[in-house]
Amino acid sequence: MDKLKRNIKLIFVVFSVLFISLILYLTYFTAVEREQLIKSSYNRRLWEQEEKVMRGTIYDSKGRPLAETGFEGGTKRRIYNGGKAIGPLIGYSDRVLGRAGIENVFNGELLGVSEQDPVTLLRQKILGVSEQGSDVYLTIDLDLQKTAYDLFQGRKGALVALEPQTGRILALVSSPGYDPSTVKQDWEKLSKDENKPLINRATQGLYPPGSAFKIITLAGALTYNPEIEYEKFYTPGYIKVSGSIIRDGQHLWPGEYDLNTAFRYSSNTVFIQIGQRVEREKMIEMAEAFGFNASNKSDIPIAKSTFPRPPVIGGDVEMAESFIGQGRILSTPVQMAQVAAIIANDGKMVTPYIAQKIVSPLGTEISKAPKASTTQVVSSEVARKIKALMVDVVKSGTGTAAAISGIEVAGKTGSAENPHGQAHAWFVGFAPAENPKIAVAVVVENAGSGGSVAGPIARGVISKYLSDITR
Amino acid sequence: MEPRTEAIYNKNIAITALVGILAALLLAFREGVFSPVPIYGSLIFIVIMFVGHFLTNHLFPKQDPALFILCCFICQLGLVMLYRIDPESAAKQLIWFGIGCLLYFISSFVCRTWIEIKVGPFIFFLVTFVLLASPLIFGVERYGSKSWISFGNFLFQPSELAKITFSLFLADTLKEHKIEDSIKFFGQIFVVLGLLAFARDLGGAMLFYFAALIIIFAATSRLDLTVLGLIGAVVAGLLGYQFFGHVRVRTKAWLNPWEDVPGKGYQIVQSLFAIAEGGFFGTGLGLGRPDYIPAVTTDFIFSAFFEEFGFLGASALIVVYFLLIYRGIKISLTIENSFLCLSGLGITVFFGIQIFTIIGGVIKLIPMTGVTLPFMSYGGSSMVMSFISLGILNGIIMRALGGEADG
Repeated sequence: MDKLKRNIKLIFVVFSVLFISLILYLTYFTAVEREQLIKSSYNRRLWEQEEKVMRGTIYDSKGRPLAETGFEGGTKRRIYNGGKAIGPLIGYSDRVLGRAGIENVFNGELLGVSEQDPVTLLRQKILGVSEQGSDVYLTIDLDLQKTAYDLFQGRKGALVALEPQTGRILALVSSPGYDPSTVKQDWEKLSKDENKPLINRATQGLYPPGSAFKIITLAGALTYNPEIEYEKFYTPGYIKVSGSIIRDGQHLWPGEYDLNTAFRYSSNTVFIQIGQRVEREKMIEMAEAFGFNASNKSDIPIAKSTFPRPPVIGGDVEMAESFIGQGRILSTPVQMAQVAAIIANDGKMVTPYIAQKIVSPLGTEISKAPKASTTQVVSSEVARKIKALMVDVVKSGTGTAAAISGIEVAGKTGSAENPHGQAHAWFVGFAPAENPKIAVAVVVENAGSGGSVAGPIARGVISKYLSDITR
Repeated sequence: MEPRTEAIYNKNIAITALVGILAALLLAFREGVFSPVPIYGSLIFIVIMFVGHFLTNHLFPKQDPALFILCCFICQLGLVMLYRIDPESAAKQLIWFGIGCLLYFISSFVCRTWIEIKVGPFIFFLVTFVLLASPLIFGVERYGSKSWISFGNFLFQPSELAKITFSLFLADTLKEHKIEDSIKFFGQIFVVLGLLAFARDLGGAMLFYFAALIIIFAATSRLDLTVLGLIGAVVAGLLGYQFFGHVRVRTKAWLNPWEDVPGKGYQIVQSLFAIAEGGFFGTGLGLGRPDYIPAVTTDFIFSAFFEEFGFLGASALIVVYFLLIYRGIKISLTIENSFLCLSGLGITVFFGIQIFTIIGGVIKLIPMTGVTLPFMSYGGSSMVMSFISLGILNGIIMRALGGEADG
């Protein structure tokens, strides 16, 4: 009998554990998993909320609305301000088309469903503002964005401008773009367009970075073989790697190069020599330190840039090609802007972000700006040396088209060969060199030489931004 | 009963009535225009509850009044939710509640005077067998299992009644704390489980399996059998996964409902959306979207409740269910007669497992099994049988405290 009682008590303990686990799981669910489910696109309540709620406004860094909800003849309408320049970035939100861009990434905030704090929720309910979404303030400057977009003149490509010390995204352009106000009417045409205007090339486009990647090769070389700074390299104009021949560009001559000349005129053969002198694993580590092979920690989804690494790939030829940004290496424009920003930021890590703050209908502000990183990707000494070389590129090398009188611009050009025709033109840089305010990456698809095509776009954006902030 | 305890119980029942009236008022104004129907419903409920409470307290001074109050509290929340989802089924459910209360009274009474009828375990087995076999012969198929018998419009699930007879069967066989004839005993249990599996009532089979396992452990203290039983449960689960299509579907829906949201994962995903919507405070009564949840009046009523009453309300409901289990266990612990003790335990354990599996299922803690949430889900046979079970539990405690059964 006593045993029976003991067993019953034990059974009661088991049931207690089971019932407590129900409550604990629900606590976990409500605290953690809930947010994602509320925002899930399968959730029908979301569209219902959409109809009830005044979707929040998206502002640029100067408080100008980029997307707001207004009334037109009694029906709710989303009004976009910025035209084709903002399309691929801001995106759209439509019951039939779905969502894209910022409208998609911050949908929960804009609808006001991502508020987690139950007390705030209750307050909003009582104050009657629960039917209003939060406003999202972006780091984008609409004027700069438009200037940059216009500079592309409809050519395919992308531009990313960052503030090097913080990672604030100042402009994020994908060309050709589309006007979100008319995306529904134009849908048929846009979705069939061969130039793919619906894609955000700045975040999702993966291009070989070409010679612009030499910044990272240089960073690896200067970190692990500092003596190369004083060495001279001989090249006959081509280099043999495991039987394959890689040549220099036609503007180069066979002969002896020092590091500065090789970087300034972008000698492939010298940079392969330099790269090969660094242990392969170290070079891969360097590329990964700059952000390759990892998902970007930015607040908007950015495609993963890849640097070939064993065992998947990584033969001698591929490795050699990678040192000059060719072969199987792929990078997004955001990633290359990040590379420029890291050099500009004395070698410290920079994580791009686009949402400055979220303002709830009650007026509470949530700052979204991440803390500035203190992780050194390269030492400040190496960053300084690279910067000096980049300044020379614009002063008297391949990047003269980006030069601005009175301002020292640092940059690196790239002409990335690709199977789709002419080379992609790259320009990656920052200015002013001594006290960098803006870092940019520009790519123009199948446009030929980086210096002459991408350089002027970078120049236009840099000078516009610098004159704006000093005004 | 001491006057102080009585006052506490009276206070509890008053609070329950108050909650009901508040909910009824909310429901009455829900459509924007005043509708008196929920208030009438609530008053009928309260009258039944008060009569039940005071009448049983008066007639059975030795009863456990908490059982009735707790289950009335749950029934009321169930009725409120049902009315909010579909007023017509709430009306039917209210009738079932009334019948349930009557049967609670009768079963308490019968059990007090009769419980120890010496029929022997075989008769209990035979009744269980007949109950479970009957739908296989006369039954109709509903919700994927052939475990229902229809009388005109009324559908009855005999396995609900079989839970009671099966508990009595186990208690009677094991009252000497040992298994006399293990081949016969386990044979009988497997026949019962086989019948349930044959009717494709796998949720029911699982319930009976674990209930048997727990009672055998309690009675015999045999850890080897318990461990073997748990291993057996895993093996049975794997076999079920291999041979029963809908076990596979449910397991997959549990592991990753997002793989096939419009298909296999549909039910559970809708349930989770409702729970997510509820948050801490809930949307408020009448402000959720139970129409998005499938089988919302039966299997998924907890999700709908969570959406509108929130984490706080749902946790409170779980606590009330837990208190019900606690009272059941307490009754078993008070009793010296091992047959009565094991019978009470059996009934309590059936409740406990059932509540855990259905709530755990709809919140995706465990795979979903189609069992009802006692006292809350819509359905006559579940409601009535739950009340009868509870009446037996009440009868057992009266019997024990009345000192009429020792040994």
